[in-house]
Amino acid sequence: MTAPITLSHLLALSGLLFSIGLVGVMTRRNILLILLSLEILLSSANLAFVAFSRSLGDLSGQIMVFFVMVVAAAEVTVGLAIALLISRKAGNLNADELRNLKW
Amino acid sequence: MIPAGLLALLPELWIGLLFSAILALDLRWKETRSSTMGMLTAVGLMPLFPLLWWQHSSLHPADLLSGMYRLDPMALLFKGIFSASAILVTLMTRELGKTIQRGHGEFYLLLLTATLGMFFAASSANFIMLFVSLELIAITFYVLTAYLQTDLHSLEAGMKYLVLGSLASGLLLYGFAFIYGATGSLQFSKIQEALSHHQASLPVPLLFGLLLALSGILFKVAAVPFQLWVPDVYQGAPTPVTAFLSVGSKAAGILVVFRVLQELFLLQAHQWSPIIAWIAGLTIAYGNLGAIPQTNIKRLLGYSSIGHAGYLLIGIATATTLGSAGTNFYLISYLFTNLAVFLVVTAFSRQTGSDEIRDYAGLSKRSPFLAAAMFIALLSLAGVPPLAGFFGKFLLLMSAVTEGYLPLAIVGAAAVVVSLYYYLLIVYTMYADKPEDPTPIPVSAPVRLALLLCLVAMLGIGIWQGPFLRISLAASFQ
Repeated sequence: MTAPITLSHLLALSGLLFSIGLVGVMTRRNILLILLSLEILLSSANLAFVAFSRSLGDLSGQIMVFFVMVVAAAEVTVGLAIALLISRKAGNLNADELRNLKW
Repeated sequence: MIPAGLLALLPELWIGLLFSAILALDLRWKETRSSTMGMLTAVGLMPLFPLLWWQHSSLHPADLLSGMYRLDPMALLFKGIFSASAILVTLMTRELGKTIQRGHGEFYLLLLTATLGMFFAASSANFIMLFVSLELIAITFYVLTAYLQTDLHSLEAGMKYLVLGSLASGLLLYGFAFIYGATGSLQFSKIQEALSHHQASLPVPLLFGLLLALSGILFKVAAVPFQLWVPDVYQGAPTPVTAFLSVGSKAAGILVVFRVLQELFLLQAHQWSPIIAWIAGLTIAYGNLGAIPQTNIKRLLGYSSIGHAGYLLIGIATATTLGSAGTNFYLISYLFTNLAVFLVVTAFSRQTGSDEIRDYAGLSKRSPFLAAAMFIALLSLAGVPPLAGFFGKFLLLMSAVTEGYLPLAIVGAAAVVVSLYYYLLIVYTMYADKPEDPTPIPVSAPVRLALLLCLVAMLGIGIWQGPFLRISLAASFQ
């Protein structure tokens, strides 16, 4: 006998993913891993949308998710392109070395 | 009978048409004709003004296209601001010359894409539309910021902007998810209806969602504590992109703050108004104090633009018609003033290749016109009467005082003095110091014309405020 998955379960998972993404962006030093953490962050928001959509019985939240997926893909594409140019120029992908501009 | 949705979409369709035309020319022409392409882009954007004016006078405000698209005076005013800044930025881009090694045509295409994103953001009436158009602006700006592919500064700025910008979109989206969960709709009009049941205080999920969404938007406006990216990105990005970020992107952010706070959450104003007032005060203080020790002009303008974002937020914090009219008015004057400064910076760095303030020494002898334009624009940025910047600041501080935010008004007034100090240091360098290299700086005809237009606008808006105040009032929430 298993208990059904409720809105709060899904929101807890989404909150967990959100925290993982947020902490990842702040602590990771490799640009690729930072980009991955950003993807996790956006996916957590997607999960929240779908969870709310299910509990409300309203489809617009799920439609939002499709748009967010496209946007996230575009974002990470640009990110990877810039990362590629940086690695060509600087020889590595360490975010700590990006400090030529005064902070 | 033409459907109303189509008539409302005409400006966006026109930009799309212009985009296709420039794309076709870019494929056909070689890099050598890029400055003609820039001219075509600038001229092609001009018909937007009569079009917007026509929409203002003959179409009724409404939610169109299944409630996705909002046509109202506020959207139209901001679209005018976006078009004017896009035109001036395009003229600036023509001056970049060899700084961009290849892909001039694509640069104009990206500018048009960002403008289109701003147009849609101005007319969004649904969270899906709003999010997609904000991302259209943001992603375009990531590419534009990193456009100087051989310059590690530009790449670094682009990467920083991308990481922090995506983080901000994540927060925004998570906030939208909670607002959606609590109100059951993504449509502004329905959210507004659902929120009218929570007049006294917001339930926790809604408050959480509002705060997260606000952080995502305030990132775009560059308000404290979401301002850390500004100096680095402003310094590293190509100058026209910096100019567009400081005016177009900021205006888009302000518009979204208006839409979310003054439209959706107006009934709960007593809850968010003090928060925004604190943010406004801290932003003004941070921007103006941070600008003092700067030696790079773009970095200094970055800090000063943070300060101006603070002033713009005053009008929102007061949540009155006077306040929002003040913010609108301030944006109109800020548009011409700030872009005049950036026009001078572009023309100067084209000849000298430098953005350091000490290299501006003796600019008054090398190019009296550029020095004079910079002088007037800096005075207007600081808010010296009778220039445009003064009246905007006056309106905002007045609205703060009448709503009981006296400390905020005092911070705003004190910051004017601080800003005069660092602006006048630049003027001192330009007029009193001897130039190391006395060769005159040539100014191309389009830049001269654009600068003259900005100067006329600064003086005109400052002295003859009536019509501009009427426009700002008409475009603010009642």
